[in-house]
Amino acid sequence: MEGWALTLVQVAISGVLLGAVYALLAIGLNLIFGVMRIINIAHGDLLMLGAYATFWLFTLWGVNPLLALVAVSPGMFLLGVALQRVLVDRVVGQPLLSSLLLTFGLSSLLTGLALNLWTANYRSVPAFSGSLVVGGVAVSIPRLIAFSVALAITAAVYLFLTRAKLGKAVRATAQNAEVALVCGIDVARIRLLVFGLGTALAAAAGALLAVIYTIYPEMGRAFLMKAFAIIVLGGLGSFQGAFLGALALGVAEAFAGYIWNTQIAEAVAYVVFIGVLLVRPGGLFGTSE
Amino acid sequence: MAEIVETPREAAAEETAALAPRVRPAFAPPRALVLGVLAAVALVAVALPFVATAYVVRLGFILLLWVALASSWNLLSGYTGYVSFGHAGFFGLGAYTGALLITRLGWPWWLAGLAAGGLGMLVGLAVGWPTLRLRGPYFAVALLGLSEVARIVATVWEPLTRGGLGITLPPTADLVADYYAMLALAVAATALVWAVARSRLGLRLLAIREDETAAEVVGVPTTRLKLLVFMLSAGFPGIAGALYAWETSFIDPGTVFSVTWSVRTIASAMFGGAGTVVGPVVGALGLNLLAEVLWVRFPFLHPVLFGALIIVIVVFMPGGLMGLAQRRGWLPRSRAW
Repeated sequence: MEGWALTLVQVAISGVLLGAVYALLAIGLNLIFGVMRIINIAHGDLLMLGAYATFWLFTLWGVNPLLALVAVSPGMFLLGVALQRVLVDRVVGQPLLSSLLLTFGLSSLLTGLALNLWTANYRSVPAFSGSLVVGGVAVSIPRLIAFSVALAITAAVYLFLTRAKLGKAVRATAQNAEVALVCGIDVARIRLLVFGLGTALAAAAGALLAVIYTIYPEMGRAFLMKAFAIIVLGGLGSFQGAFLGALALGVAEAFAGYIWNTQIAEAVAYVVFIGVLLVRPGGLFGTSE
Repeated sequence: MAEIVETPREAAAEETAALAPRVRPAFAPPRALVLGVLAAVALVAVALPFVATAYVVRLGFILLLWVALASSWNLLSGYTGYVSFGHAGFFGLGAYTGALLITRLGWPWWLAGLAAGGLGMLVGLAVGWPTLRLRGPYFAVALLGLSEVARIVATVWEPLTRGGLGITLPPTADLVADYYAMLALAVAATALVWAVARSRLGLRLLAIREDETAAEVVGVPTTRLKLLVFMLSAGFPGIAGALYAWETSFIDPGTVFSVTWSVRTIASAMFGGAGTVVGPVVGALGLNLLAEVLWVRFPFLHPVLFGALIIVIVVFMPGGLMGLAQRRGWLPRSRAW
């Protein structure tokens, strides 16, 4: 292959690899919106918590980030269930303003706690390094690992939602909570499960990002916007849409970063998101509400 | 033998009566008392610069800034139910417009402020036209994103804005003049809300909030009205931003486009009671006075305490102070409040 073609392939691959990690974040946010009609502004901050948990496990006890992920995700699942039980459940079915403000408050609280406890310093988890060269294309090993794990988790969640009885109950609740209730589904428990699952997925994304990126208390906001862009691309409530949207955003960012600089790449999410909203208010693959 | 049969309509009426919450007979404050309190508040606000220290006047300026933001946000979001996170964007836009007109073109501060308000309204029109077609959640998220885009533009457009270095204004700010300008702005925003709330327009906006499709069906030109109030609502943060820039003499993208401007505005309005005239004013004064105290005592814990405070407001007082007062029968359930 020509040099420029190789470069293109390399940039695209690097984008796809990162996109799979974004998918974890977006799928969780989408599930929570689908089941409860709540936009969780604190979703990015849950990712931040997952990233810090991984960082500390690695730094203090040398725990492998992948092992840390296995420990952190269930822990964050419980945190999510607790948050739902104590706070979020109170604003389900309330006007949009209540849930937006509540989750913004939570976001401010978590960011503030992280700043106070762990300072504003940039941290990283240098657990993996190096790159794999296949046919002249170099692929970063940390990204490859993050991609594989993210893909496995996404597949597991997909199978759970489509095959397992409980997963079908989640989808039924998202479609119509009242009818689901009439059919004997314990909707309140489904909500606990979904917020827990969403939190665990965000934390898993955080654990994987910790390996690739730098960590800081306010990282959540940028990733929240990315998740929004992905959901707008893929349509609210669509699982496949969120996955494809995530890969697309990853690739778009990679190219923007390659052509211009990382600052512009960070802005891609916003541009995508506003562009899609203007052209198709219901999302690219989604149906309008 | 004729039996008395309840018609369906009567049965429905009885059911509705049984379901209606028992409202205590509202206490309607006598007109003289209302006017008296208003006069006292006006006297304190006008006399403040003559009797208070510079610190207190500056605090008053900041509190009035939040009143102007909360009331103007209320005009759109409190009445139509469209939750706007755009105030940070309009505030930042106003701050940069004001700062650039003063430093580059040497405009007087008040003219720069008016121009910033005008630009805010124009941009409001341009932004509102596409985004107000979006339904609730999408609209909220879209404006959150647009405010962030504005921050990025201000950071990247270095030839005009000097990027992250920020702009330093000549230290000519006259605190007292700026205080009175902000007082006028806060009064204007609140008076506008009062006038709208009592008008047909106010009723139509409430109809949009309760059921937009139904409002459209009965002939409310929803898109046009939403656009009108969005534009009006965007002018105030524009002027406020310019006045703030002049007063603080230094602005940078991270400060004036911070999402905090939107969140604290929304929290203020909700604390007092969104969709009421008095609520956002009381909420802005109360919440930000409290925040000022917290800020001085615990600078590092500020975001934590503020976040907790917001959560408490949402969970325990969803209708705000006004909702509480009206439920208890302390104030009339009238649109004039």
